[in-house]
Amino acid sequence: MSQYRFRESLSDFAAIFMDELRTVFRDQGVLIFFILVPLAYPLLYAYIYNNETVREVPAVVVDEGRSQLSRDFVRRVDATADVRVVAHCANMEEAKKLIRQRRAYGIVRLPRSFSADLSRMKQTSVRIYVDMSGMLYYKAILLACTNTSLDMGAELKVMRAPGTTEEQDLVTQYPIEYRQVDIFNPTAGFASFLIPAFLILLLQQTLVLGVGLSAGTARERNSYAELLPLSRHYNGLARIVLGKGAVYLLVFLWNAFYCLFVVPRMFSLPQIGSPTDVWLIALPFLVATVAFAMTCSVLIRQRETVFMIIVFCSVPLLFLSGVSWPGWSMPKFWKVVSWAFPSTFGINAFVKVNTMGATLADVRVEVISLWAQAAFYLGTTLLVYRNNIAAARRRLSEKKLNLRRRLDSRRFNAQSPSQQ
Amino acid sequence: MKSLFQVIIRELRRLAPDPLVWFCIVVAPLLTALFFTTFMWQGLPTNMPIGLVDEDNTPTTRQIARNLDAMQQTRITANFADITEARRAMQRGEIYAFFYIPRGTTSLANQQKRPTISFYTNYSYLVAGSLSMRDMRMMSELASGAAARKVLYARGLTEQQAMAFLQPIVIETHPIGNPTLNYNVYLSNMLIPGILGIFIFMMTVYSIGSETKRGTASEWLGQAHGNIHRALVGKLLPQTVLFLLVGALIVIWLYGYMHFPCQCSPWTMMGVMSLYVLACQGMGVFMISMLPTLRLGLSFASLWGVVSFSICGMSYPTMAMDAPLQGAAMLFPLRHYFLLYVNCALDGYPLMNAGLHVLALLGFMLLPLLCGWWLKRQLLTVRYVP
Repeated sequence: MSQYRFRESLSDFAAIFMDELRTVFRDQGVLIFFILVPLAYPLLYAYIYNNETVREVPAVVVDEGRSQLSRDFVRRVDATADVRVVAHCANMEEAKKLIRQRRAYGIVRLPRSFSADLSRMKQTSVRIYVDMSGMLYYKAILLACTNTSLDMGAELKVMRAPGTTEEQDLVTQYPIEYRQVDIFNPTAGFASFLIPAFLILLLQQTLVLGVGLSAGTARERNSYAELLPLSRHYNGLARIVLGKGAVYLLVFLWNAFYCLFVVPRMFSLPQIGSPTDVWLIALPFLVATVAFAMTCSVLIRQRETVFMIIVFCSVPLLFLSGVSWPGWSMPKFWKVVSWAFPSTFGINAFVKVNTMGATLADVRVEVISLWAQAAFYLGTTLLVYRNNIAAARRRLSEKKLNLRRRLDSRRFNAQSPSQQ
Repeated sequence: MKSLFQVIIRELRRLAPDPLVWFCIVVAPLLTALFFTTFMWQGLPTNMPIGLVDEDNTPTTRQIARNLDAMQQTRITANFADITEARRAMQRGEIYAFFYIPRGTTSLANQQKRPTISFYTNYSYLVAGSLSMRDMRMMSELASGAAARKVLYARGLTEQQAMAFLQPIVIETHPIGNPTLNYNVYLSNMLIPGILGIFIFMMTVYSIGSETKRGTASEWLGQAHGNIHRALVGKLLPQTVLFLLVGALIVIWLYGYMHFPCQCSPWTMMGVMSLYVLACQGMGVFMISMLPTLRLGLSFASLWGVVSFSICGMSYPTMAMDAPLQGAAMLFPLRHYFLLYVNCALDGYPLMNAGLHVLALLGFMLLPLLCGWWLKRQLLTVRYVP
């Protein structure tokens, strides 16, 4: 008996699985989000951010003193990779005009007394005015000028302190030397920072969109606007949920392989984590996301609704993950909200393992949270599907009852004249 | 005129009972405005956790650590015995950076042998990494300077002379328009209009595409006596009014309540925002004309809307992208809005200084004049295929 039931449920599972697989691959809309977007979008984004950082930010110079030293300073700033001097202006008015025309993003102003101050052993100050439309312009111009001032300052000290050896001068300058080491993202690049987080978010968003779209289609196709068809195979809650879920999981295991392994390799993004660990994160992340998507999909009455609700969330979700805005500075309320989404833990775990080479033990909090989310959303999916099926049955039996009543009355009406 | 009125009434009857419409036009854009501004309420992150590896552990090195802790943006939350331990903590995401003082630093410094201290920053979190780097670098300069000043004072130099000797050239920064480097200003100003743009694209596409889906396109056109422009104006006008109101609320929220820098008159920003709303609607009409099926039109709208954020140049400058992308950026209304916002609100230049971008937004707005006839043909011929 039990063996028979097991075989039956297995065949139901297989039937539901095949059914859903067919639906997915026949639906153009679902295919866009299951295949096309996960394939093409990472390429587009990697292309956008591929240059990693901004180089040769155009700047103008206002050199009021025009001495040998000031020209030297300007030449050194120009020689850095960050800044390119596009013009020398006679005064600030002229320089501001170039900024207004967007031909430059910053002004470097050297005072008239630049050379005199330096030779009189007085501190001199170079002013920089930076257009704040992008933080990277600011960073580039500030970095170039600071480095130049430190380099030049060091040489000046050596020149102007006669009677000492070079080593002595160095000691006076920097009794303690310091060194900056950038680890995990050594170029401080934008792509290396953003793309890993983006890839995980993309997996979640396309999955939710695709599943929602497929649910919307199922409802629109169904003559009673129900989510599930009432066929022989569609009984047994677990079979339905697992059968459908297995299809989504299968498709996204492939997408995850492409996004998490192939794309970073193609664009030489940081990829120092162990592949096994990445899979051990990807798996709970995908299971949680599939269940999350299936729970959400019950809300979808029309195919189009899903676009309106899901798409705009992408940017807030990226912020909620705490990768761009430091998670430590996040207001408590939003932090709690962020725990509802698999992307929060998925992004953090993936960035830590893939970009920073953490081991699975280092991200166990995230992995456990993902499994907890998987269990929770599986529970909610079972619950909402059960309600859905029960409601559908009820509506159907009501419809049957109405139909029978109508038929009865019609029969009665048809019979009554003959009786007369 | 009467027929236009009829189209408007018909549209109101279609849209008003749908909660989804209200969600997309009013609730969601305002909610996101609230989200981003409260999310980055601090403006600049403070007290970011960093670590310290002090192998030397002498009064001098402890003094350095204390100074580092006094910096505003960073806070030493943990001491580690060695680099490996600190690195592991960084990998677990507990700290964003750490300071390393090797054994023997103090004695080398006392012997005037120039020891090296290092700081490790993690740019996997770009904002946190850059900000903590700034603090640590400043601290290292000060640590070195403090030691050097002592020597120079001993030689009889005044403080002024000592400073001139140690740091002959000082860089004074003047960030134009956003002097506090407020990230809320920098990001919210663009993220909120970006989200609004997505909804305008989608609602425009949805309201036109649902006519073909429900097979009511000819009824709609019939009511406008077959004039596609009249039909479009009648259909979109109710949404335009609502979106303009939401846009105005966003401007009031950003510049009136949050007091984000606005060098121009708030009315100029109102005007720029209104122009942007209309441009997005024009673009939406273009989208559904090119891909007249509802779901393809919506896919177009969502993909275009999401790419806007990256290509507009708000976070990663368009200048740094490859040439084809710099050209493509012009096809996104958000790019023009961004440049107008920078021109007017941030830098305070007259609107006409960026006149080209005003023209571009007007161009987007007038796109339906170009593609109207095509849309009409599509509406009357394309059958909805589920």
